[in-house]
Amino acid sequence: MTYEEYLDGKPVVITAALTGGIHGKETHPGLPETPAEIAEAAAAVEEAGAAVVHLHARRENGERAFSTERFQTVTDAVRDATEDVVIQHSTGGTAAPDALRAEPLCTDPAPEMASLDMGPMNRGRRLTSENTRDTIDGLHAEMRERGIKPELEVFNNGHLNEAFRILDELAEPPYLNLILGPGTLTPPSPANLQRLVEQLPDGAEFNVIGFGPHQLPLTTQSLLLGGHVRVGLEDNSYLREGERATNAALVERAARIAGELGRPVASPAEARELLGVRSRR
Amino acid sequence: MACPHLDYRESDGDREFDVARAFCTVADEFVQPVHADVCAERYGLDPESDCEIFRDRAGLDWDE
Repeated sequence: MTYEEYLDGKPVVITAALTGGIHGKETHPGLPETPAEIAEAAAAVEEAGAAVVHLHARRENGERAFSTERFQTVTDAVRDATEDVVIQHSTGGTAAPDALRAEPLCTDPAPEMASLDMGPMNRGRRLTSENTRDTIDGLHAEMRERGIKPELEVFNNGHLNEAFRILDELAEPPYLNLILGPGTLTPPSPANLQRLVEQLPDGAEFNVIGFGPHQLPLTTQSLLLGGHVRVGLEDNSYLREGERATNAALVERAARIAGELGRPVASPAEARELLGVRSRR
Repeated sequence: MACPHLDYRESDGDREFDVARAFCTVADEFVQPVHADVCAERYGLDPESDCEIFRDRAGLDWDE
């Protein structure tokens, strides 16, 4: 997780966040929502260079779903459509009760990775993703029991404190996802990303999300800092101003830039090795 | 229960969907999935306290 690792040509793990749960086809008609659409997108991003796919599940009408049953349908479809890509389930869920948030961890097989939010985040005027310490600890305990690698979602600088709190409980290496964007996220700027990276514990691996127009510059900065990148339609609908993206196009661009900068793109097997992920393929 | 302004529609005249989606009859547009949970009053969410559009239409101040 250093500039020296960039100079050494450390492989970069590209994660593709295919669908999310915030917006849907009302925002981007090409956003995959059904299990078949998500599976098709997963195959396309694997072909383009993604080593990890970050999955959410939805109801038939595009609304959010958290049940094991819905996640099972999605994850089965993705497993069937892809060769070896690492499967990561979301455990995020604004306002959803903790028990429901744990259901995506209970598929068979369990996901190889899962997101673990490190604290609260506001959405709009009244909605908040609470993510109390009880929620964090409960989800983390479930992940450890099932051998699932957590990706710690750091929505802002203060969430590093929560990550440090559970550092001793994490399998090596700790893997943190630094998220920059509007609202209660870290304000998006190169200086703020640099400062976050400087505060990470020794030996940690990190990933970077930049929302909307910040996806391209901040993930590119991550490449220079020895980090990994997350791209995809969950975080950004546009390839450039006025041109809607596809998941595969965003991954292709990230892979191309990584190659230009001398960072080889990690295969799924290399990603498992780098991040300490137990294979379930 | 659900918001009185919630409707499920397959079309808004410009766009067509295979499955009817949450539509806000006040905003006259389809609703984002995360907000549809407020419209449908899931997880303890309630339009009267949690939806800007509902409160504006009802003339409610945020202090109330």
